[in-house]
Amino acid sequence: MNYSTSQFKNGLKLMLDGNPCSIVNNEIVKPGKGQAFNRVKFKDLITGKTLEKTFKSGESLEAADVMELEMQYLYTDGEKWYFMDPNSFDQFDLSKESMGSALNYLVEQDTCIVTLWNNNPISVSPPNHVTLEVIDTDPGLKGDTAGTGGKPATLNTGVVVQVPLFVAIGDRIKVDTRTNEYTGRA
Amino acid sequence: MSHFKENLLRYQNLTRNIRDFFYARNVIEVVTPSLLSTPTTDVYIDSIEVSVNQALSKSSKFYLHTSPELEMKRMLSRGSGDIFQICQVFRDNEHGRINSNEFTMLEFYRVGFGMHQLIDEIKDLLVILGKDDPIKQMSYSEAFFEFANIDILNSSIEDLKKILNAHSLNSDYEWIEDMQTVLFVHLVEPKLKEYPVFFIYDFPKQQAALAQIDGLIAHRFEMYINGIEIANGYQEIQTSKEYRDRFETELGKRKFLSKSIGCVDEDFLNDLKDGLPACSGVAIGIDRLFNSLSL
Repeated sequence: MNYSTSQFKNGLKLMLDGNPCSIVNNEIVKPGKGQAFNRVKFKDLITGKTLEKTFKSGESLEAADVMELEMQYLYTDGEKWYFMDPNSFDQFDLSKESMGSALNYLVEQDTCIVTLWNNNPISVSPPNHVTLEVIDTDPGLKGDTAGTGGKPATLNTGVVVQVPLFVAIGDRIKVDTRTNEYTGRA
Repeated sequence: MSHFKENLLRYQNLTRNIRDFFYARNVIEVVTPSLLSTPTTDVYIDSIEVSVNQALSKSSKFYLHTSPELEMKRMLSRGSGDIFQICQVFRDNEHGRINSNEFTMLEFYRVGFGMHQLIDEIKDLLVILGKDDPIKQMSYSEAFFEFANIDILNSSIEDLKKILNAHSLNSDYEWIEDMQTVLFVHLVEPKLKEYPVFFIYDFPKQQAALAQIDGLIAHRFEMYINGIEIANGYQEIQTSKEYRDRFETELGKRKFLSKSIGCVDEDFLNDLKDGLPACSGVAIGIDRLFNSLSL
Protein backbone atom coordinates (compact mmCIF):
# COMPACT_ATOMS: atom_id res chain seq x y z
CA MET A 1 0.00 0.00 0.00
CA ASN A 2 1.20 3.49 -0.88
CA TYR A 3 0.37 6.95 0.41
CA SER A 4 0.59 10.00 -1.82
CA THR A 5 1.75 13.40 -0.52
CA SER A 6 -1.88 14.59 -0.40
CA GLN A 7 -2.58 11.91 2.25
CA PHE A 8 0.46 12.79 4.39
CA LYS A 9 -0.38 13.71 7.97
CA ASN A 10 1.35 13.68 11.32
CA GLY A 11 1.82 10.21 12.75
CA LEU A 12 1.52 8.42 9.38
CA LYS A 13 4.05 5.55 9.21
CA LEU A 14 5.98 5.22 5.95
CA MET A 15 9.02 3.44 4.58
CA LEU A 16 11.94 5.74 3.86
CA ASP A 17 15.27 4.42 2.60
CA GLY A 18 14.42 1.00 4.00
CA ASN A 19 13.49 2.12 7.50
CA PRO A 20 10.03 2.60 9.02
CA CYS A 21 9.47 6.29 9.81
CA SER A 22 6.72 8.37 11.33
CA ILE A 23 5.73 11.80 9.99
CA VAL A 24 6.40 14.47 12.61
CA ASN A 25 5.59 17.49 10.47
CA ASN A 26 4.30 17.89 6.93
CA GLU A 27 4.55 21.32 5.35
CA ILE A 28 3.28 22.22 1.90
CA VAL A 29 5.79 24.47 0.17
CA LYS A 30 4.41 26.34 -2.80
CA PRO A 31 7.01 28.71 -4.22
CA GLY A 32 5.22 31.68 -5.77
CA LYS A 33 6.22 30.65 -9.27
CA GLY A 34 7.42 27.09 -8.84
CA GLN A 35 5.78 23.74 -8.45
CA ALA A 36 4.45 22.57 -5.09
CA PHE A 37 6.41 20.34 -2.73
CA ASN A 38 5.91 18.71 0.63
CA ARG A 39 8.70 19.34 3.11
CA VAL A 40 8.37 16.49 5.57
CA LYS A 41 10.03 15.88 8.93
CA PHE A 42 10.28 12.20 9.83
CA LYS A 43 11.31 10.30 12.88
CA ASP A 44 13.16 7.13 12.02
CA LEU A 45 11.44 4.56 14.27
CA ILE A 46 14.53 2.38 14.49
CA THR A 47 17.29 4.93 15.09
CA GLY A 48 15.06 7.58 16.69
CA LYS A 49 16.73 10.22 14.51
CA THR A 50 14.77 13.03 12.89
CA LEU A 51 15.29 13.77 9.20
CA GLU A 52 13.81 16.21 6.71
CA LYS A 53 12.98 15.41 3.10
CA THR A 54 11.31 17.19 0.21
CA PHE A 55 8.80 15.46 -2.04
CA LYS A 56 7.24 16.46 -5.32
CA SER A 57 3.50 16.90 -4.84
CA GLY A 58 1.83 13.70 -5.97
CA GLU A 59 4.82 11.49 -5.17
CA SER A 60 3.98 8.45 -3.07
CA LEU A 61 5.69 6.31 -0.44
CA GLU A 62 5.13 2.77 0.74
CA ALA A 63 3.23 2.39 4.00
CA ALA A 64 5.18 0.88 6.90
CA ASP A 65 3.47 -2.00 8.69
CA VAL A 66 3.85 -0.46 12.12
CA MET A 67 1.63 -1.09 15.14
CA GLU A 68 1.79 0.42 18.57
CA LEU A 69 0.49 -1.98 21.21
CA GLU A 70 0.00 -1.62 24.92
CA MET A 71 2.04 -4.37 26.58
CA GLN A 72 3.12 -5.49 30.00
CA TYR A 73 6.84 -5.50 30.85
CA LEU A 74 7.61 -8.95 32.29
CA TYR A 75 11.31 -9.19 33.15
CA THR A 76 14.85 -9.05 31.82
CA ASP A 77 17.55 -11.67 31.76
CA GLY A 78 20.18 -8.96 31.33
CA GLU A 79 20.44 -9.48 27.55
CA LYS A 80 16.84 -9.15 26.51
CA TRP A 81 13.78 -7.44 27.86
CA TYR A 82 10.54 -9.40 27.68
CA PHE A 83 7.04 -8.00 27.08
CA MET A 84 3.59 -9.52 26.77
CA ASP A 85 0.55 -8.45 24.78
CA PRO A 86 -2.23 -8.87 27.39
CA ASN A 87 -4.83 -9.55 24.69
CA SER A 88 -3.07 -12.33 22.80
CA PHE A 89 -0.60 -13.37 25.52
CA ASP A 90 2.06 -13.20 22.77
CA GLN A 91 5.51 -12.48 24.13
CA PHE A 92 8.06 -10.20 22.51
CA ASP A 93 11.65 -9.41 23.39
CA LEU A 94 13.83 -6.36 22.79
CA SER A 95 17.60 -5.87 22.92
CA LYS A 96 19.17 -3.31 25.26
CA GLU A 97 19.83 -1.08 22.23
CA SER A 98 16.15 -1.08 21.19
CA MET A 99 15.06 -0.39 24.76
CA GLY A 100 16.70 3.05 24.62
CA SER A 101 15.88 5.27 27.59
CA ALA A 102 12.85 3.11 28.50
CA LEU A 103 15.37 1.01 30.48
CA ASN A 104 15.48 3.78 33.05
CA TYR A 105 11.81 3.77 33.86
CA LEU A 106 10.31 0.31 33.56
CA VAL A 107 9.76 -1.99 36.50
CA GLU A 108 8.21 -5.44 36.19
CA GLN A 109 4.45 -5.50 35.55
CA ASP A 110 4.46 -1.91 34.20
CA THR A 111 2.36 -1.16 31.14
CA CYS A 112 4.05 0.54 28.19
CA ILE A 113 3.72 1.01 24.43
CA VAL A 114 5.72 -1.37 22.25
CA THR A 115 6.14 -0.50 18.56
CA LEU A 116 6.07 -3.45 16.17
CA TRP A 117 7.32 -3.32 12.59
CA ASN A 118 6.30 -6.32 10.49
CA ASN A 119 5.34 -7.87 13.83
CA ASN A 120 8.85 -7.43 15.28
CA PRO A 121 9.34 -5.11 18.23
CA ILE A 122 11.57 -2.13 17.39
CA SER A 123 11.08 0.27 20.28
CA VAL A 124 9.27 0.82 23.54
CA SER A 125 7.88 3.99 25.12
CA PRO A 126 7.35 4.14 28.86
CA PRO A 127 4.31 6.04 30.20
CA ASN A 128 4.92 9.82 30.46
CA HIS A 129 4.82 9.56 34.25
CA VAL A 130 6.09 6.64 36.32
CA THR A 131 6.31 6.01 40.05
CA LEU A 132 9.70 4.73 41.23
CA GLU A 133 11.38 4.08 44.57
CA VAL A 134 14.44 5.89 45.90
CA ILE A 135 17.10 3.33 46.78
CA ASP A 136 19.97 5.70 47.47
CA THR A 137 20.38 9.39 48.26
CA ASP A 138 22.23 11.56 50.80
CA PRO A 139 20.26 12.40 53.91
CA GLY A 140 18.55 15.77 53.42
CA LEU A 141 18.71 18.75 55.72
CA LYS A 142 16.13 18.59 58.47
CA GLY A 143 13.25 20.99 58.13
CA ASP A 144 13.81 21.63 54.43
CA THR A 145 10.38 21.05 52.97
CA ALA A 146 10.29 23.85 50.44
CA GLY A 147 12.53 22.03 48.01
CA THR A 148 14.79 25.01 47.52
CA GLY A 149 17.86 22.91 46.91
CA GLY A 150 18.34 19.58 45.16
CA LYS A 151 20.38 16.42 45.30
CA PRO A 152 20.82 13.31 43.15
CA ALA A 153 18.82 10.20 44.01
CA THR A 154 19.25 6.71 42.56
CA LEU A 155 15.94 4.98 41.84
CA ASN A 156 15.07 1.27 41.76
CA THR A 157 15.61 1.11 37.98
CA GLY A 158 19.13 2.49 38.37
CA VAL A 159 18.34 5.90 36.92
CA VAL A 160 19.56 9.02 38.74
CA VAL A 161 17.14 11.95 39.14
CA GLN A 162 17.54 15.33 40.85
CA VAL A 163 15.19 15.44 43.84
CA PRO A 164 14.40 17.99 46.58
CA LEU A 165 16.44 17.70 49.79
CA PHE A 166 13.57 16.26 51.85
CA VAL A 167 13.32 13.09 49.76
CA ALA A 168 14.66 10.05 51.64
CA ILE A 169 15.60 6.47 50.86
CA GLY A 170 12.47 4.34 50.54
CA ASP A 171 10.26 7.20 49.30
CA ARG A 172 8.20 6.61 46.20
CA ILE A 173 8.38 9.50 43.74
CA LYS A 174 6.84 10.47 40.40
CA VAL A 175 9.16 11.04 37.44
CA ASP A 176 8.41 12.56 34.03
CA THR A 177 10.06 10.10 31.63
CA ARG A 178 10.32 12.67 28.82
CA THR A 179 12.48 15.06 30.82
CA ASN A 180 13.86 12.73 33.54
CA GLU A 181 12.55 15.19 36.12
CA TYR A 182 11.08 14.67 39.60
CA THR A 183 7.46 15.85 39.61
CA GLY A 184 6.37 14.97 43.16
CA ARG A 185 6.02 12.36 45.86
CA ALA A 186 3.73 9.45 45.06
CA MET B 1 -9.01 47.23 23.61
CA SER B 2 -9.69 43.72 22.32
CA HIS B 3 -6.91 41.84 20.60
CA PHE B 4 -9.08 41.65 17.49
CA LYS B 5 -9.55 45.41 17.30
CA GLU B 6 -5.86 45.98 18.02
CA ASN B 7 -5.03 43.80 15.04
CA LEU B 8 -7.45 45.69 12.80
CA LEU B 9 -5.78 48.94 13.76
CA ARG B 10 -2.30 47.50 13.24
CA TYR B 11 -3.32 46.30 9.80
CA GLN B 12 -4.78 49.71 9.01
CA ASN B 13 -1.50 51.29 10.05
CA LEU B 14 0.43 48.98 7.77
CA THR B 15 -1.62 49.79 4.66
CA ARG B 16 -1.72 53.49 5.60
CA ASN B 17 2.08 53.57 5.89
CA ILE B 18 2.47 51.78 2.57
CA ARG B 19 0.11 54.25 0.88
CA ASP B 20 1.83 57.27 2.45
CA PHE B 21 5.20 55.91 1.31
CA PHE B 22 4.07 55.76 -2.31
CA TYR B 23 2.04 58.99 -2.28
CA ALA B 24 5.16 60.80 -1.04
CA ARG B 25 7.07 59.39 -4.02
CA ASN B 26 4.33 60.34 -6.51
CA VAL B 27 3.42 56.75 -7.27
CA ILE B 28 -0.25 56.64 -8.27
CA GLU B 29 -2.62 54.23 -6.56
CA VAL B 30 -4.70 52.31 -9.10
CA VAL B 31 -7.47 49.73 -9.17
CA THR B 32 -7.65 47.12 -11.91
CA PRO B 33 -10.31 44.47 -12.67
CA SER B 34 -10.28 41.21 -10.74
CA LEU B 35 -12.47 39.41 -13.29
CA LEU B 36 -10.43 38.58 -16.36
CA SER B 37 -11.43 36.89 -19.60
CA THR B 38 -8.35 34.66 -19.74
CA PRO B 39 -6.73 32.52 -17.03
CA THR B 40 -3.08 32.98 -16.15
CA THR B 41 -0.56 31.17 -18.34
CA ASP B 42 1.80 30.63 -15.39
CA VAL B 43 2.81 26.96 -15.33
CA TYR B 44 2.36 26.47 -11.60
CA ILE B 45 -0.39 28.97 -10.80
CA ASP B 46 -4.03 28.07 -11.37
CA SER B 47 -6.77 30.64 -11.88
CA ILE B 48 -10.14 30.22 -10.21
CA GLU B 49 -12.91 30.07 -12.81
CA VAL B 50 -16.24 31.78 -12.19
CA SER B 51 -19.46 31.68 -14.20
CA VAL B 52 -21.50 34.84 -14.38
CA ASN B 53 -24.84 36.02 -15.77
CA GLN B 54 -26.43 32.59 -15.87
CA ALA B 55 -29.86 33.96 -14.88
CA LEU B 56 -29.63 36.47 -17.70
CA SER B 57 -29.15 33.64 -20.21
CA LYS B 58 -25.90 35.32 -21.18
CA SER B 59 -23.70 32.96 -19.24
CA SER B 60 -19.99 33.49 -19.58
CA LYS B 61 -16.82 32.46 -17.83
CA PHE B 62 -14.36 34.70 -16.10
CA TYR B 63 -11.18 34.06 -14.14
CA LEU B 64 -10.28 35.77 -10.88
CA HIS B 65 -6.93 37.48 -11.26
CA THR B 66 -3.99 35.63 -9.71
CA SER B 67 -2.04 38.92 -9.67
CA PRO B 68 -2.83 42.38 -11.09
CA GLU B 69 0.36 42.24 -13.17
CA LEU B 70 -0.96 42.27 -16.72
CA GLU B 71 -3.72 44.80 -16.08
CA MET B 72 -1.20 47.14 -14.44
CA LYS B 73 1.18 46.67 -17.35
CA ARG B 74 -1.61 47.74 -19.71
CA MET B 75 -1.77 50.99 -17.72
CA LEU B 76 2.01 51.39 -17.91
CA SER B 77 1.89 50.90 -21.68
CA ARG B 78 -0.69 53.68 -21.86
CA GLY B 79 1.58 56.12 -20.03
CA SER B 80 0.47 55.80 -16.39
CA GLY B 81 3.99 56.24 -15.08
CA ASP B 82 4.74 54.84 -11.60
CA ILE B 83 1.77 52.94 -10.13
CA PHE B 84 0.89 50.78 -7.14
CA GLN B 85 -2.07 48.71 -6.04
CA ILE B 86 -3.15 46.82 -2.92
CA CYS B 87 -5.69 44.15 -3.80
CA GLN B 88 -7.02 40.66 -3.12
CA VAL B 89 -5.76 37.97 -5.50
CA PHE B 90 -7.00 34.41 -5.94
CA ARG B 91 -5.24 31.15 -6.68
CA ASP B 92 -6.65 27.68 -6.99
CA ASN B 93 -4.87 24.68 -5.44
CA GLU B 94 -2.94 26.76 -2.94
CA HIS B 95 -3.99 26.00 0.58
CA GLY B 96 -1.86 25.30 3.62
CA ARG B 97 -0.22 26.76 6.68
CA ILE B 98 1.18 29.74 4.76
CA ASN B 99 -0.83 29.52 1.55
CA SER B 100 -4.37 30.55 0.93
CA ASN B 101 -6.74 30.62 -2.04
CA GLU B 102 -7.18 34.34 -1.44
CA PHE B 103 -4.54 36.74 -0.20
CA THR B 104 -3.63 40.42 -0.28
CA MET B 105 -0.99 41.66 -2.65
CA LEU B 106 0.88 44.92 -2.94
CA GLU B 107 2.09 45.30 -6.50
CA PHE B 108 4.04 48.27 -7.80
CA TYR B 109 5.93 49.37 -10.88
CA ARG B 110 8.67 51.97 -11.10
CA VAL B 111 9.45 53.40 -14.53
CA GLY B 112 13.15 53.71 -15.35
CA PHE B 113 14.18 51.56 -12.37
CA GLY B 114 16.57 48.61 -12.73
CA MET B 115 16.17 45.56 -10.50
CA HIS B 116 18.66 46.76 -7.87
CA GLN B 117 17.04 50.19 -7.65
CA LEU B 118 13.73 48.48 -6.96
CA ILE B 119 15.33 46.27 -4.28
CA ASP B 120 16.71 49.43 -2.66
CA GLU B 121 13.25 50.99 -2.65
CA ILE B 122 11.80 47.91 -0.92
CA LYS B 123 14.49 48.30 1.73
CA ASP B 124 13.35 51.90 2.26
CA LEU B 125 9.76 50.69 2.53
CA LEU B 126 10.71 48.08 5.15
CA VAL B 127 12.32 50.79 7.29
CA ILE B 128 9.15 52.91 7.08
CA LEU B 129 7.15 49.86 8.17
CA GLY B 130 9.37 49.44 11.22
CA LYS B 131 11.40 46.50 9.94
CA ASP B 132 14.95 47.70 10.45
CA ASP B 133 16.69 44.33 10.83
CA PRO B 134 19.99 43.72 9.05
CA ILE B 135 19.48 42.78 5.41
CA LYS B 136 21.38 40.08 3.56
CA GLN B 137 21.60 39.99 -0.21
CA MET B 138 22.99 37.30 -2.51
CA SER B 139 22.59 36.17 -6.09
CA TYR B 140 20.80 32.84 -6.64
CA SER B 141 24.08 31.33 -7.74
CA GLU B 142 26.00 32.67 -4.70
CA ALA B 143 23.30 31.31 -2.38
CA PHE B 144 23.64 27.84 -3.93
CA PHE B 145 27.43 27.96 -3.53
CA GLU B 146 27.16 29.25 0.02
CA PHE B 147 24.46 26.96 1.38
CA ALA B 148 24.73 23.84 -0.80
CA ASN B 149 28.12 24.00 -2.54
CA ILE B 150 26.43 23.61 -5.93
CA ASP B 151 27.30 25.50 -9.13
CA ILE B 152 23.65 25.88 -10.06
CA LEU B 153 24.09 28.03 -13.21
CA ASN B 154 26.53 25.61 -14.83
CA SER B 155 24.78 22.36 -13.85
CA SER B 156 23.04 20.41 -16.59
CA ILE B 157 19.90 18.31 -16.12
CA GLU B 158 22.17 15.25 -15.77
CA ASP B 159 24.31 16.98 -13.12
CA LEU B 160 21.23 17.96 -11.14
CA LYS B 161 19.78 14.44 -11.44
CA LYS B 162 22.94 13.10 -9.79
CA ILE B 163 22.77 15.68 -7.02
CA LEU B 164 19.09 14.90 -6.39
CA ASN B 165 19.85 11.18 -6.24
CA ALA B 166 22.74 11.81 -3.85
CA HIS B 167 20.25 13.52 -1.53
CA SER B 168 17.84 10.60 -2.13
CA LEU B 169 15.33 13.00 -3.63
CA ASN B 170 13.06 12.22 -6.56
CA SER B 171 14.86 13.21 -9.77
CA ASP B 172 11.94 12.59 -12.05
CA TYR B 173 11.36 16.13 -13.32
CA GLU B 174 10.64 17.30 -16.84
CA TRP B 175 12.47 20.59 -16.77
CA ILE B 176 15.69 21.87 -15.27
CA GLU B 177 13.91 24.71 -13.47
CA ASP B 178 11.90 22.20 -11.43
CA MET B 179 15.12 20.49 -10.35
CA GLN B 180 16.62 23.86 -9.43
CA THR B 181 13.51 24.64 -7.42
CA VAL B 182 13.39 21.36 -5.49
CA LEU B 183 17.07 21.77 -4.57
CA PHE B 184 16.38 25.35 -3.53
CA VAL B 185 13.43 24.29 -1.37
CA HIS B 186 15.36 21.38 0.16
CA LEU B 187 18.83 22.84 0.63
CA VAL B 188 18.73 26.64 0.49
CA GLU B 189 15.36 27.80 1.79
CA PRO B 190 15.70 26.13 5.24
CA LYS B 191 18.96 28.09 5.74
CA LEU B 192 17.23 31.39 5.00
CA LYS B 193 15.21 31.03 8.22
CA GLU B 194 18.16 32.48 10.11
CA TYR B 195 17.99 35.76 8.23
CA PRO B 196 15.42 38.45 9.12
CA VAL B 197 15.49 39.80 5.56
CA PHE B 198 17.16 38.07 2.62
CA PHE B 199 17.10 39.25 -1.00
CA ILE B 200 18.01 36.68 -3.60
CA TYR B 201 18.47 37.96 -7.15
CA ASP B 202 19.55 36.97 -10.65
CA PHE B 203 17.62 33.73 -10.96
CA PRO B 204 18.66 31.16 -13.59
CA LYS B 205 17.28 32.13 -16.99
CA GLN B 206 14.99 29.07 -16.99
CA GLN B 207 13.14 30.70 -14.07
CA ALA B 208 12.91 34.10 -15.76
CA ALA B 209 9.10 34.22 -15.73
CA LEU B 210 8.58 37.75 -17.17
CA ALA B 211 12.02 39.13 -16.25
CA GLN B 212 14.74 40.27 -18.64
CA ILE B 213 17.31 37.60 -19.46
CA ASP B 214 21.01 38.38 -19.54
CA GLY B 215 23.22 35.39 -20.39
CA LEU B 216 22.64 32.58 -17.90
CA ILE B 217 20.58 34.70 -15.54
CA ALA B 218 17.35 36.68 -15.45
CA HIS B 219 16.89 39.94 -13.56
CA ARG B 220 14.37 38.45 -11.20
CA PHE B 221 14.52 38.64 -7.40
CA GLU B 222 12.72 37.41 -4.35
CA MET B 223 12.64 38.64 -0.78
CA TYR B 224 12.51 36.21 2.13
CA ILE B 225 11.70 37.15 5.71
CA ASN B 226 12.89 34.45 8.13
CA GLY B 227 12.81 31.89 5.34
CA ILE B 228 9.35 32.76 4.07
CA GLU B 229 8.95 34.06 0.53
CA ILE B 230 7.38 37.52 0.72
CA ALA B 231 8.14 39.24 -2.59
CA ASN B 232 8.89 38.42 -6.22
CA GLY B 233 10.01 41.05 -8.69
CA TYR B 234 11.42 41.58 -12.17
CA GLN B 235 13.21 44.01 -14.32
CA GLU B 236 10.45 43.70 -16.87
CA ILE B 237 10.61 42.54 -20.46
CA GLN B 238 9.19 45.23 -22.75
CA THR B 239 8.07 44.06 -26.16
CA SER B 240 4.84 42.30 -27.04
CA LYS B 241 6.88 39.71 -28.93
CA GLU B 242 8.80 38.76 -25.78
CA TYR B 243 5.54 38.50 -23.84
CA ARG B 244 3.98 36.32 -26.53
CA ASP B 245 6.99 33.99 -26.52
CA ARG B 246 6.97 33.62 -22.74
CA PHE B 247 3.20 33.03 -22.62
CA GLU B 248 3.34 30.44 -25.39
CA THR B 249 6.20 28.58 -23.70
CA GLU B 250 4.23 28.51 -20.45
CA LEU B 251 1.05 27.32 -22.16
CA GLY B 252 3.05 24.56 -23.85
CA LYS B 253 4.28 23.37 -20.46
CA ARG B 254 0.79 23.49 -18.95
CA LYS B 255 -0.42 21.42 -21.89
CA PHE B 256 2.39 18.92 -21.36
CA LEU B 257 1.38 18.61 -17.68
CA SER B 258 -2.27 18.11 -18.73
CA LYS B 259 -3.30 21.25 -16.85
CA SER B 260 -6.20 23.42 -17.94
CA ILE B 261 -5.07 25.95 -20.51
CA GLY B 262 -6.48 29.22 -21.71
CA CYS B 263 -5.00 31.25 -24.48
CA VAL B 264 -2.61 34.12 -24.90
CA ASP B 265 -4.28 37.39 -23.85
CA GLU B 266 -4.41 39.11 -27.24
CA ASP B 267 -5.93 42.29 -25.80
CA PHE B 268 -2.93 42.62 -23.53
CA LEU B 269 -0.46 42.07 -26.38
CA ASN B 270 -2.38 44.55 -28.50
CA ASP B 271 -2.09 47.21 -25.78
CA LEU B 272 1.61 46.50 -25.68
CA LYS B 273 2.21 46.92 -29.40
CA ASP B 274 4.38 49.96 -28.72
CA GLY B 275 6.04 48.18 -25.83
CA LEU B 276 6.22 48.68 -22.09
CA PRO B 277 8.40 51.51 -20.79
CA ALA B 278 11.67 50.32 -19.19
CA CYS B 279 10.60 49.48 -15.63
CA SER B 280 10.83 47.11 -12.73
CA GLY B 281 7.93 45.75 -10.72
CA VAL B 282 7.31 43.61 -7.69
CA ALA B 283 4.53 41.75 -5.90
CA ILE B 284 4.61 41.64 -2.10
CA GLY B 285 2.41 39.34 -0.03
CA ILE B 286 0.82 41.65 2.51
CA ASP B 287 -0.59 38.97 4.83
CA ARG B 288 2.79 37.31 5.24
CA LEU B 289 4.47 40.71 5.61
CA PHE B 290 1.95 41.69 8.30
CA ASN B 291 2.62 38.46 10.20
CA SER B 292 6.37 38.95 9.99
CA LEU B 293 6.08 42.51 11.33
CA SER B 294 4.17 41.33 14.39
CA LEU B 295 6.92 38.92 15.43
